[in-house]
Amino acid sequence: MTKLSTLTEAVASIPSGAHLALSGFAITRCTMAFAREIIRQGITNLTISQCVGAMDADMLVGAGSVNRLIYGGGSLDRFGRLNCVNRGIEEGTLEAEEYSSLSVAFRYLAGALGIPFMPIRSLRGSDLMAQLKEKSGSNLVNITDPFTGEDWPVLKPLLPDVAVVQVQAADEEGNAWIIGPRWDNSEQVRASQRTIVITERVVTDETIRQNPERTTIPGLFVSHVVELPFAAHPTSVYRTYDYDAEQIQAYVEATRTPESFRAFLDQYVYGVRDHWEYLERVGGLQRLNSLQADPVLGY
Amino acid sequence: MEFDYTPSELMAVAGAREIQDKEVVAVGLGLPVVASFLAKHTCAPKMTILFELGVIDPQPVDQGVGLADPRVWYRANVLSSFVDILGEVLHRGRVDVGFLGGLEVDQYGNLNTSMIGDPKGKFRHMIGSGGANDIASCAKRTIIIMRHEERKLKKAISFITSPGYITGGDSRTRIGLSGGPSRVITDKAIFGFHPETKQMMLISIHPGITLEDVLGTMGFSPIIPEQVPFTEPPTQEQVRLIREEIDPQRMYMGKD
Repeated sequence: MTKLSTLTEAVASIPSGAHLALSGFAITRCTMAFAREIIRQGITNLTISQCVGAMDADMLVGAGSVNRLIYGGGSLDRFGRLNCVNRGIEEGTLEAEEYSSLSVAFRYLAGALGIPFMPIRSLRGSDLMAQLKEKSGSNLVNITDPFTGEDWPVLKPLLPDVAVVQVQAADEEGNAWIIGPRWDNSEQVRASQRTIVITERVVTDETIRQNPERTTIPGLFVSHVVELPFAAHPTSVYRTYDYDAEQIQAYVEATRTPESFRAFLDQYVYGVRDHWEYLERVGGLQRLNSLQADPVLGY
Repeated sequence: MEFDYTPSELMAVAGAREIQDKEVVAVGLGLPVVASFLAKHTCAPKMTILFELGVIDPQPVDQGVGLADPRVWYRANVLSSFVDILGEVLHRGRVDVGFLGGLEVDQYGNLNTSMIGDPKGKFRHMIGSGGANDIASCAKRTIIIMRHEERKLKKAISFITSPGYITGGDSRTRIGLSGGPSRVITDKAIFGFHPETKQMMLISIHPGITLEDVLGTMGFSPIIPEQVPFTEPPTQEQVRLIREEIDPQRMYMGKD
């Protein structure tokens, strides 16, 4: 049975209040087309998690779709900070549960393995730990190692409802390739109830079967496969296209105030019917072609 | 022969000199990248460079905007994941050196990259940890590189994102952490830590800088030994490598 869907259908499968694990890392492989469609469909009260906060999460926070963020800090690298996330934290409108990268990865890993908790050496002695323990129903407690008697912080498994992962290629069953570093994506997929794969292109079943060692996401975890070129724009997809520096810069400028960000959303999210119209709005084929990755360099 | 070098170049060179050959080094972006690649080109050709997101030993030909930029992954030996690098290499105890930058550091080498202000009142949220807390907790030693300013070298920092020696003495080992910061490299001086009290201790002052310059622009008093030598200046070859091979576009070094 094919899992091929339109972006509209895949997004419509997400109820308000769901917990989504998103695949972005700063300015690379962010689920941008997906985030824009979430905003257009008016889905709200989301919990978002990712090891390092990225542009997809920041846009959703800025648009008011998110009330809770579980992450390990983040930025848009040299382009700037996560202005929407930071404003939400500073003003108290966003409930942020802030860890280190490895702590979030370990929470996903515990979820993926179905184990009750995961010990970690990190976080000790830090204000991250102090802040996490202040929360009621803390997801971090200390226990005694039954073998050595040592004191260890342990993390509760993270079990998102849906992982949304941007990939380079997938077949229609959702067997997918992430080319390049996977950061937390393998654990996100395996910890989540189900996964939506957003792929730059759909390949045949035979292509997957000829290269099975490349499959990073087995189709058995996947509920929807959405084929959408340039779905991560303006962020990059390794060996496919580079980030669009001008558009990311424009985003950073726009996110400095809620008013200017509202105007940005009107232009690039609410003001376009779908992903295809968005791609025209940001410069169409001429612009996108200039972002194509060099096959040797990968960017 | 006389030649010029910038304070950033001296910091990168001082960082590179801290790395021994064959060491495994976890690197944050900015000056630590330059210091690490310089070490690889000079004193530590067999070192292994790690980026937290899953990159081992890249050989970039272009400078990137950050760790998420595929430019800095170019010609890597391995492209994998957080669990692989931060988990099975770092958490497992195989990282010799962690190289970190920061917003604020205190006299025990505790680092803040999270927020400026009062966490319970008015504050500005900045970046947070990323892998910095993991590296500061699990590496065998960490080297901190940052600007020498009163608002950065502080008696009390706004938030401890990444642990140094906590409150000094044996407070770090008591919570189950070994390692800890070995050096703080600024644009005025290099500091180590007292073996017992774990307070920051002046090790050398950069050429052209006075002790008054160093002490007058920091928010606490470090331990000052009787003899404080000058930091060894960069060699012409080290400066050439930085300018021509490692950071020709001055993405990491800034313009000073």
